[in-house]
Amino acid sequence: MKGVIFFSALLVAVFSQKIFVGDQVLRIATKDVEQITLLKDLEELEHLELDFWKGPTHPDFPTDVHVPFASLQAVKVFLESNNIQYSIMIENLQSIVEEEKIQISRSRSTEQMRNTNSFNYASYHTLDEIYSWMDMLVSEQSNLVSKIHIGSTFENRPIYVLKFSTGGTKRPAIWIDTGIHSREWVTQASGIWMAKKIATDYGKDAFITSILNEMDIFIEIVTNPDGFYFTHTKNRMWRKTRSTNSGSSCVGVDPNRNWDAGFGGAGASSNPCSETYRGPRANSESEVKSIVDFVKSHGNFKAFISIHSYSQMLLYPYGYTKTPVADQQELDNLAKKAIDALSTLYGTSYRYGSIINTIYQASGGTIDWTYNQGIKYSYTFELRDTGRYGFILPANQIIPTAQETWLAIKTIMEHTYNNPY
Amino acid sequence: MRWTLWIVLGLFPLVDGHPTLKTNQNSLETADAALNHQSGSLNSVLHLDDTEKAALEPTRVDPAFPMKELNTSHYPATRAARVAQHYLNYHHGSPSKWFMVHDIKKASSEDIPEVGTKYHIQFSVQEQATKEIVGNCTAEILFRQTEEQSAPEVNCTCDDLLKIKTSDADHALYLHIKHQPEPVAGTDIPDSQGNIPKEMEPFWYLGGIGASFIMWQQSNESTLYNMVHVHSVKQLNSENDLLAFDYVVLLHDMVSQEIIHWHMQVAWNPTQGVKVTQCNLLPKDTMKQPSAEKHKI
Repeated sequence: MKGVIFFSALLVAVFSQKIFVGDQVLRIATKDVEQITLLKDLEELEHLELDFWKGPTHPDFPTDVHVPFASLQAVKVFLESNNIQYSIMIENLQSIVEEEKIQISRSRSTEQMRNTNSFNYASYHTLDEIYSWMDMLVSEQSNLVSKIHIGSTFENRPIYVLKFSTGGTKRPAIWIDTGIHSREWVTQASGIWMAKKIATDYGKDAFITSILNEMDIFIEIVTNPDGFYFTHTKNRMWRKTRSTNSGSSCVGVDPNRNWDAGFGGAGASSNPCSETYRGPRANSESEVKSIVDFVKSHGNFKAFISIHSYSQMLLYPYGYTKTPVADQQELDNLAKKAIDALSTLYGTSYRYGSIINTIYQASGGTIDWTYNQGIKYSYTFELRDTGRYGFILPANQIIPTAQETWLAIKTIMEHTYNNPY
Repeated sequence: MRWTLWIVLGLFPLVDGHPTLKTNQNSLETADAALNHQSGSLNSVLHLDDTEKAALEPTRVDPAFPMKELNTSHYPATRAARVAQHYLNYHHGSPSKWFMVHDIKKASSEDIPEVGTKYHIQFSVQEQATKEIVGNCTAEILFRQTEEQSAPEVNCTCDDLLKIKTSDADHALYLHIKHQPEPVAGTDIPDSQGNIPKEMEPFWYLGGIGASFIMWQQSNESTLYNMVHVHSVKQLNSENDLLAFDYVVLLHDMVSQEIIHWHMQVAWNPTQGVKVTQCNLLPKDTMKQPSAEKHKI
């Protein structure tokens, strides 16, 4: 019984109301000195706990007073019975306080944009913030990092890829993309963290330094900028691009069904209103075409890693057919190694296998195309979690997710480096 | 014998009871009715022959139906286990107790001609509040071959389910809510950044448990459901000792990738558990989607 009482008391404390709920700020318009005197008398009544923001000084100037909820009625009756005009400047102070807290944290995050060391990696950012951060990273380490404009989105936003290179010409390269499905916010956030990690570790960490001495790394952090912007402004659950579809009021194409691999087959929808709409033809989406053109003209990618969330899986091709890839055994072994490495950090467990066996049949997918281009080490990640939070993963899980995923990616990079082809 | 089977199949839509949760359906028989139908009053109504009885009985494995061992990493096992999770949550969950499948240890399936496919899964679950792992769960999940969606039939038991003691927390929460001057209300749980205020967590859990009923009813071999958002929760007046809440929740089906809005009314008290008293599917663009704005309490 005692336990229940204690527990209830604890809960009451936890659930108790915040400080300014229901409090109001009144703007009082006095017309003569007499009314000023009355207000000064009011000021003296300590039990009302009034907080004058603009004290009563002169009839020409308004008096602003913060009135706690409990004293509201008494004060209003006082003013009205003395014929003192007033208006309600703030109806509920608590909501303003909360609004302000958000503003402060927002401006704090923009202030922290002075350099990539003070950037908040443990929070989700807007498209503008990410693009500014990219420019900062490049300017801080222009010997290592550069930004490439690979194309434009449907709504004409620039599409950028960060290149990490210590020289050479078209060195064998590793590709990482995040955010192709815009609602998967932990992926873009992880991409930012990993880019910073690479930039920080080069020259300090033996592994990354040896990789970068012979290979280049490309990271496309916001692979679907239009969709990403939409998740911030209109619909947090938006997945597809934002291209319009002729003959339909439905918007968008699934960029992970738009690649030229098994395009048109089972595992994608022909309905523009569907979340897995393949598009009118392969590469119809500029977000996809930009990557296709870039990869083809580069011609020397050796590993291609496309990052999604959620489900905690590491997948290799194919999605469009049950026929195993020629390198099935090697990809399977490497996947196992990578997820074992991932789990060492926080115990997070992943499943692995081909797309079609592990998750579902999917046609027109990214890594099916890249594999068929000859990029052997083609993988798709599905990051945290397994469904408790799903797409809306708490920001405090960004860094742990990025850290553990990085271990898996390094395993793949190491294997790629040690097994040139 | 054959005609018996046809009658059996013909009668199932009636016996299965609750009108299936189709788009225009406005209300649903109470969960109790649905549960009774699930739990074996069938045999007495339908005069089944031995083959049919065998198909429905939980534990007998008939050698006439070949068992296929399943890879526990592949999706057939994942989807079946998820159904068991929804079933478990609806029957045992509360605002302080919410289970997720932790690990699938063994899985097999059998195709039962003209009936459907029955899965046998051994798995563990993790309770989300206490983080405790309950091992040794076994479930049989029967997906019937029907033209329209019908709820999978589930039998599921876990060895040490009772070791998770949340009745104190549940009772304390119940009393606290009863004594509040204002009815509970909330929106956007979690918010865009994944934050959930401490005081809204039990209502997030409760939404998840209520949604488990819907997800169980809506599941088939081609779905994999999760609740990804509580759009709104509002406490309703209730005369009896049950607390009642009106919810709009967003479910995500991994297979189609669609986000589906459901409206539901949920009743709860610590002794009777959670019941969905009403639910209906909302049209796709019915409301403003969860946005980046802060939640309101």
